[in-house]
Amino acid sequence: METLKIVGRSIPRIDGVDKVTGLCVFGADLKLPGMLYGKVLRSPLPHAKVIHVDTSRAERLSGVKTVVTGKDLPITYGGAVRDQPYYCFEKVRYIGDPVAGVAAVDEETAEEALDLIRVEYEELPAVFDPIRAMAPDAIRIHERLGEYWHLPFVTLIPGSNVCNHFKLRKGDIEEGFREADLIEEDTYTTAMIQHCHLEPHASISQVDSTGAITLWTNTQHPYSCLRDLSKSLGMPMNKIRVIVTPLGGGFGGKAWLKVEPLTVVLAMKVKNYRPVKITLTREEEFYATSVVRHPSIITIKSGIKKDGTLTAQKVRIILDTGAYADLGPMVTMWAGLVFPGPYKVPYIWTDVFCVYTNNPIAGAFRGFGNSQTIWAIESHMDALAEKLGMDPSEFRLKNAVEEGSISATGQVLNGVGIKECIQKVTAATKWKEKEKKEGRGKGIALMHQPTATPSASSSFIKIKEDGTVEVLVSTVEMGQGSNTVLTQIVAEELGIRMEDVRIVRPDTDITPYDHGTSASRSTFSMGNALRAAAVDAKKQLFEIAADLLEANPLDLVASEGSIYVKGSPEQKIPIGQIPMGSSYLGKGKPIIGKGTFTVPDAARLDPETGQSENPSVFWMYAAHVAEVEVDRETGKVKVLRMTAAHDLGRAINPLACEQQIEGALGMGVGMALMEELKLENGRPLNPNFVDYKLPTSMDMPEMEPIIVETYHERGPYGAKGLGEPALSATAPAIANAIYDAVGVRIKNLPITPDKVLKALREKETKSFPK
Amino acid sequence: MKRQVRMKVNGEEVEGWIDPRRTLLDFLRDDLNLGGTKKGCDLGNCGACTVLINGKPINSCLVLAVEAEGQEILTIEGLSEEKRLHPIQEAFIEHGAVQCGYCTPGMILSAKALLDENPHPTEWEVRVAISGNLCRCTGYKKIVEAILSVSQGAMNDR
Repeated sequence: METLKIVGRSIPRIDGVDKVTGLCVFGADLKLPGMLYGKVLRSPLPHAKVIHVDTSRAERLSGVKTVVTGKDLPITYGGAVRDQPYYCFEKVRYIGDPVAGVAAVDEETAEEALDLIRVEYEELPAVFDPIRAMAPDAIRIHERLGEYWHLPFVTLIPGSNVCNHFKLRKGDIEEGFREADLIEEDTYTTAMIQHCHLEPHASISQVDSTGAITLWTNTQHPYSCLRDLSKSLGMPMNKIRVIVTPLGGGFGGKAWLKVEPLTVVLAMKVKNYRPVKITLTREEEFYATSVVRHPSIITIKSGIKKDGTLTAQKVRIILDTGAYADLGPMVTMWAGLVFPGPYKVPYIWTDVFCVYTNNPIAGAFRGFGNSQTIWAIESHMDALAEKLGMDPSEFRLKNAVEEGSISATGQVLNGVGIKECIQKVTAATKWKEKEKKEGRGKGIALMHQPTATPSASSSFIKIKEDGTVEVLVSTVEMGQGSNTVLTQIVAEELGIRMEDVRIVRPDTDITPYDHGTSASRSTFSMGNALRAAAVDAKKQLFEIAADLLEANPLDLVASEGSIYVKGSPEQKIPIGQIPMGSSYLGKGKPIIGKGTFTVPDAARLDPETGQSENPSVFWMYAAHVAEVEVDRETGKVKVLRMTAAHDLGRAINPLACEQQIEGALGMGVGMALMEELKLENGRPLNPNFVDYKLPTSMDMPEMEPIIVETYHERGPYGAKGLGEPALSATAPAIANAIYDAVGVRIKNLPITPDKVLKALREKETKSFPK
Repeated sequence: MKRQVRMKVNGEEVEGWIDPRRTLLDFLRDDLNLGGTKKGCDLGNCGACTVLINGKPINSCLVLAVEAEGQEILTIEGLSEEKRLHPIQEAFIEHGAVQCGYCTPGMILSAKALLDENPHPTEWEVRVAISGNLCRCTGYKKIVEAILSVSQGAMNDR
């Protein structure tokens, strides 16, 4: 194992000072000279034709600089399926769908102008239940589904409301059920929940005299935004610039295009090339332009042998993707890839459907289909364990994957730490000791998660004349600590101090291509790209230094801010004294290190069988134990403690790893016990922080994160990823603990007191037949 | 009809002609260019806009700017003196209580209000004091640890 000076240390956030002093200018804070404020008129109906939009009175209001409707730009965008209008021009498909936009001198004027716009709709029948939407006679939400551009792997079914169908077939599933001694089938559901990042979506667009567009926006995906705008507008990519403002949280809610298209149309029409900004209100954040997590209906059928061996697993997952596809097709694939969990199962049959409804749009949200599938699997696994009379952790250990196991897609797995996670978490919680206090229980749940594969990252390292360094990467800091971790990697590689490294903000004019900050991929992918860039920069430095030191470049190392000859530390030259700029007098040259990371051996999933030898370059694993207390009188569940063991490969920054795990555990408590965006005929009833329950400081359990390091051979210093995993195992661990405590299993999230009470009453009634 | 209003913000006298419908939050952010106080919901539900008015933590989106006439306001910008961080700010960085940072200014001011009144709170008292400040990133654990560390260490009168 190499001796590391900076990687592996719990270094506090490099942007901490800006954040504790209020100096950090988030996207929601940014103001530009001459900026106008935009507001959006949204459909009050879930499904209707747009007959006529009269904006004449709004245009005459003093202070209004432009008004746009779908007629100004009747085109659609979309990264997976190009189905979403900039502004609706023929139909509206959900309550909140944008119909018109106003840019004015201030927000109040813009809002007043919205009231002056008259829209004539012809209401259409709407569908809110995804199962109903899959029926052959259901109303078609996208009549031209078959004509939309879409990514090649997306299997949409023209003439239906299905915009993707993921299939996985491993072996003969009926054979698998024949081999089983016991077959169990059950259905689980998850609710529509929202990211609730504290900073709302905020975008500014400005067009120049050549028609080129500049955006300042709080996106996690600058290059995906650029690509989608370019393709949908038919504009060359070098005429669009996406500058990323610091994010106040993302969690997938700021992935791909969100508010940007609304500002682009306004900026294109407004006179004098003024910038136009739209910041979503908190109500809009819950359902309008902003997205939600896919509600899911998951039916699992399992076959097991009496000795606890899993033989067959079959699942049908229905995901309600709402009015537009957004990232739904990808979430569909992920939800399928994750089934049947981190277990060895010889026979698997998976169907995942991504279904349009007239509900709010569902998109990327931490876990990305994983959170739904794992909820169902891990609740189900406990039910199976009970049928067998086996301890839930023993049952899982028996079936868990190991190094070299074959996955559901036929991949030979490596870097598999799930068993160590189970062992650590059961030891830390004294799992074998039964809870003695009445109403208390313990529950365990596992998870695994893939990462986007293939995906590419590229980076530049610029060495300034004085030896300080600028890092050009498009990885987006949204609070997860990527800036700090990537700085650690660069400082370690170049042998310089943290304070000698500065990361430049992501800007597609300046920072090179990156797939996007999601899928828990950035430490791995961009970390590797930066290591390559550092090696490239050092090669260039060593060439010059070798000449000056009269040494062989292969004998040089970079350490403590200087270039040394190995074994002769007095033969050195500080990096800042190497001629790289104005001191160039025939020797030396400016240094730019370039590094790219790709996965050339990524393998596409077979569209019929879902088989692939490498659908994910690494897998993340975790085991959670929840300790709960259930009040039989009120049905209230208190989570006393969450213990979470995570196989993350290698902790580049252990403090940052703890922060991720704890934050996701907190989100998991919300998902498990309280969060739900309630709809009535497509209308959200609780789009605010009072009626949509978010966990507060008073709702948190004790938390013990446990870091498990398995050193993935392809990760930077062995690191994998951690952004998403801690969310998925939390809710099922809590549900399993509730079952252990009071003997009721709630299969529909969130587990609210009324559901617990109802289940307890039903259980009581069953025990005392009349 | 705009009204002239005078108040003290971060120790400085300020005055302005303000539309009576304007919130204190918008006045601080847009008129005084004190962007450290954040807007998370504009409805008084998230605490991101917390400022101290005469030492009490208040959601500034629920206060009309004209209501602050004659009051003393402390925003996050007023907490660090001459670039020296307040112990609460330092503790937040050191303990990993900062992730995205959007809830942080409001959270720190709620903590200051608590510690000014109750220098040695229990963990539960800390959790209650910050329960009006929503955070989606941290799970609150390290925030509570940071605040407790300040109460246990020596805290200068600031």
